[in-house]
Amino acid sequence: MFRLAARSVQHNPKRLLLTAFAVALGVGLIAATHIFTDSLDRGFTRLFGEIYDGVDVIVEPVTSDGDVGDPTSGDSVGKDLDDAVVQTARSTAGVELAMGSTEAVGALIGTDGETLAGGSGFGPPTLFFNWTGVEDFDSATIVDGRAPEGDDEIVVDVGTAEAHGLTVGDQVVAGGADGTYPSTVVGTASWGDGNNTQGATLVWASLDRVRELRGGGDGWSVVHVRVDDGADAEAVAVAIDDRLPDGVRALTGAAKAEEQAASLGEALKAVDVFTLAFAFVALFVGAYIIANTFRIIVTQRTREFGLMRAVGVKGQQVRTMVLAEALLIGLVASVLGILLGYALAGGIIGLLKALGPGESFAVPIIPLDAVAWGFAVGIVVTVASALLPAIHASRISPMEAMRDAATQNRRGLRMRNIVGGALALAGAGLTTVGLYAGLERPYVYVGAGAVLLVLGVTLLAAQLLVPLAYGMRDLLARVWRVDGRLAANNIHREPRRSANTAAALMIGVMLLALTATVTQTVKSVAADAIGGQFTADLMVVSTTVPGSADDAVVADLASVPDVRTVTRSASLDARVDGVLVPVTVLDTATAEEAIAYETEPAFAEIDGGVFVSPSAIEAGAEVGDTVTLVGEDGEVTLEVTGEYPTSGDGDYFVDFAQAERLGTTIDVWQYSIVAAPGADVDHVRADLEDLVATDYPLLTVQSPDDMLALANQLIDLMLAVITALLSGALVIAMLGVANTLLLSVTERTREIGLLRAVGARRRSVRRMIRIESVVMSVFGAVLGIVLGVALGVALIRALEEFGFETVTIPWVLLGVYTVLAILAGIVAAWWPARKAAKLDVLEAIAFDG
Amino acid sequence: MTTSTTVTIAASMRGGTKDYGSGDAAVRALDGLDVDIAQSEFTAIMGPSGSGKSTLLHTLAGLDRLTAGESWIGETQITGLSEDKITQVRRDKIGFVFQAFNLIPSLSARENITLPLDIAGRDIDPAWFEEIISILGLGDRLTHLPAELSGGQQQRVAVARALVARPELIFADEPSGNLDSRSGAELLGFMRRAVKEFGQTIVMVTHDPTAASYSDRVLFLADGRIVDEMREPTADRVLDRMKQMGH
Ligand SMILES: Nc1ncnc2c1ncn2[C@@H]1O[C@H](COP(=O)(O)OP(=O)(O)O)[C@@H](O)[C@H]1O
Ligand SMILES: [Mg+2]
Repeated sequence: MFRLAARSVQHNPKRLLLTAFAVALGVGLIAATHIFTDSLDRGFTRLFGEIYDGVDVIVEPVTSDGDVGDPTSGDSVGKDLDDAVVQTARSTAGVELAMGSTEAVGALIGTDGETLAGGSGFGPPTLFFNWTGVEDFDSATIVDGRAPEGDDEIVVDVGTAEAHGLTVGDQVVAGGADGTYPSTVVGTASWGDGNNTQGATLVWASLDRVRELRGGGDGWSVVHVRVDDGADAEAVAVAIDDRLPDGVRALTGAAKAEEQAASLGEALKAVDVFTLAFAFVALFVGAYIIANTFRIIVTQRTREFGLMRAVGVKGQQVRTMVLAEALLIGLVASVLGILLGYALAGGIIGLLKALGPGESFAVPIIPLDAVAWGFAVGIVVTVASALLPAIHASRISPMEAMRDAATQNRRGLRMRNIVGGALALAGAGLTTVGLYAGLERPYVYVGAGAVLLVLGVTLLAAQLLVPLAYGMRDLLARVWRVDGRLAANNIHREPRRSANTAAALMIGVMLLALTATVTQTVKSVAADAIGGQFTADLMVVSTTVPGSADDAVVADLASVPDVRTVTRSASLDARVDGVLVPVTVLDTATAEEAIAYETEPAFAEIDGGVFVSPSAIEAGAEVGDTVTLVGEDGEVTLEVTGEYPTSGDGDYFVDFAQAERLGTTIDVWQYSIVAAPGADVDHVRADLEDLVATDYPLLTVQSPDDMLALANQLIDLMLAVITALLSGALVIAMLGVANTLLLSVTERTREIGLLRAVGARRRSVRRMIRIESVVMSVFGAVLGIVLGVALGVALIRALEEFGFETVTIPWVLLGVYTVLAILAGIVAAWWPARKAAKLDVLEAIAFDG
Repeated sequence: MTTSTTVTIAASMRGGTKDYGSGDAAVRALDGLDVDIAQSEFTAIMGPSGSGKSTLLHTLAGLDRLTAGESWIGETQITGLSEDKITQVRRDKIGFVFQAFNLIPSLSARENITLPLDIAGRDIDPAWFEEIISILGLGDRLTHLPAELSGGQQQRVAVARALVARPELIFADEPSGNLDSRSGAELLGFMRRAVKEFGQTIVMVTHDPTAASYSDRVLFLADGRIVDEMREPTADRVLDRMKQMGH
């Protein structure tokens, strides 16, 4: 059977090439994801190893949960270590050297006030470290000049020096949360071997300066330890750890490197899951193409199979043969896909390296899991997709060998409609349950429901869509005469085939339309929120590190002429009944002036109590009750005095007086400015900008319009990323249209020859195929749009409590998708149309289909 | 030749040569052949298998190109025309009936019949259409798909399709070859009527002496050349002639 299958593949290699490619693309996406994250993972593991290479033991603060903060941002838990910890480490047996180190997030500013790095804006941070003079601890070596000695001397990393043209002797300004400090660049340094900073700006300064940039204090961020020659780092780490107070731990540098690599691995896994989801969408679409191709091939070979059965081949053997053919294609597709994935990942890594941020990637290799997944998925998808056609082939009776292809009995669509209807209903039901029933892990229900819905609609499409397309026959015939009529006929002739082909496109377009509907709604909700709710004239926000709740900032901002009120918005984490919850802190007296909150009653009437959001109410809080918030270093029991209307902005709302009693860091992320009536806001803005540029370089001034623009930019970026990831599925769907048409051109060879004989020109034959392709594509797209928008609306309705009250239908984008579908149809028809037009009339007539 | 001087020529070929393949494998299917097809006549082309009948029909009809020589449809010389121009000549001046697979499976009988007019964008002459339909007895079959028609009915639809555009010439390659003798006789009878009553010109390839007997004139082909012709043929005379040719 395998020999027969191989012979059949050999006999018709082109027919199966497109099919294999459809699977290969999906496999390629999977392989590329694995190869990409593997390279990143190995790169970072190497990097972390390098960083902690000379550090035997690390002593660092941890939260009560043992959380060490975000390892990639250089940000620790925000709690300092005091000198006693350094002493403890130093006095432990086996320790040769123990030194504290302090770091601060800040900004580097030119003498003209122009920010060079850090400060306002997003992107990699600017980190200040104190220079210890111990090379292993600094992880840096001076390249030019010398180490910083005085408080106004700094050393910058060589990459930053190059990027901003800084050389030894240049004057710059170091900016911290609370002030700015003129400094002289006295040297440049390389961080680790390759100054591989991931785009971050690294600055070394005196210990006092770094502490000032941090906003004061005399503690340490971390303590580095070197052990005696011959001492066991691990034993020393345990010994130090035993002597440390709660909230501080010691571990070896190697363990720390491993921990960071592992935590990055976790983060990469999330990226994996995200992209793999799209790879599976692509494969799902690919499965349609495979199933369709095999269906067509089986139909075309009906006579051959009938003949085999007539000469004594068992039905089961026919089935095995078809599946063997699928296995062969799956193998080829997997190999193709893995290579494709390697090329894709390699290309992206190369591109990133060329553009700058790719320095951490290790040389990409094809990891074992990429190979295993590639083959498993490629083969399983292909063989599973071919299963139904194979079963169909095994049921072909010997009588079929004698029958003319045109008179083969067609199976009715009834069974298909019943199954399709049931699946669609079940899918819609599951989706509804997932969205509204409030079960655990609702996305499982929504996801499964969506898959069933798509399968059901695909099956129903044979009954719904095809007659619709056929209904357009008269219109098509009026515009394109015979070409239009024949195109409509061809779609109608094999309703299953046309429906499956259109469905492949439908899935991709559905997800696009869904994404567009959701993002467009988010955009308009954001516009409403920012445009309608923000009554403040300007916002001063921190984009890098949150500000402290220092009154000085408020006083300085308020001292700017024509500023009427300054309202702080801040957040902190506290525990309620042992559960960590987000708490929003506001200057409640002026809050209403800055932002049109729809609380009940107004924030001004909070009366030293707490307001609760719907999710807190769900958790049991009620107006009149009391709630106890537990902070790091204190707790408050407050009366619930009001309700906040939506979830997502924090569960509990308190004023600063209560928040400060918790002893938890309060992160101020926004100062809302209301100008005096009649004041020129542009003037106020200019004055505020001058103020923050000199005194608070980490703050930036924005208008509500700026915020809206930024929000829109982020949403558009997300839409673009998802669209790019979906393009794989869309390309596969286009291949599907092309493949179906190619196969059906082969099937219709004699018919096309006849058309040409009675006077149809090549152009006209091409046009016929093109119309067929465009009609199928447009119907697939329209069905996808309808489904996608419907699912999007359902999803938004389910998120109503987060403030999604109105749905915005992205008409423009939907129009664009439809136009693109038409173009896709034209492109997909190119090869089949060419093939059909090139057919030699006589050969076509003599063709034995 | 005993052609009268008033006869108009519907198609002709001079020095028609057609080679297939090259070198040792080369086959000369037509060998410097001259032929004239008279208007409003039913011409049959006979000859042993492989004598070049189909090749002659195809090259005359512009479905295939001659290796050497020239051919005309009416006044139009088609040797040397571009593919698109030849297609246009076929569309406007020629009708076809093939041995089998004459019809587009997805089009109804009526749509198949009007196909050449539709392709050319020409209007249907309803009276003419009705006349053809009634002569061919297809009135109650017009909405049927080809798969729902018998072999004889399918070939009648093909003849109707060939007639409806009033082409200058109809070429038919073994039109009754796949039919039982009764349906075959019926079909050939219709074709003969079209020639007699409407002055239609038909060229038919056949190897069946009975089929040939419906024609006005039989051309005998051997090794790519016309070796003989017969006017007012009967089945017996044609059979005798074929036997002489060693068939
Ligand atoms: N496409 C072709 N390629 C090669 N040889 C051909 C082709 N068509 C016909 N021939 C050869 O040309 C000769 C005449 O063929 P044909 O016109 O089909 O004869 P007939 O119709 O009388 O049986 C035969 O020898 C045949 O083998
Ligand atoms: Mg022949």
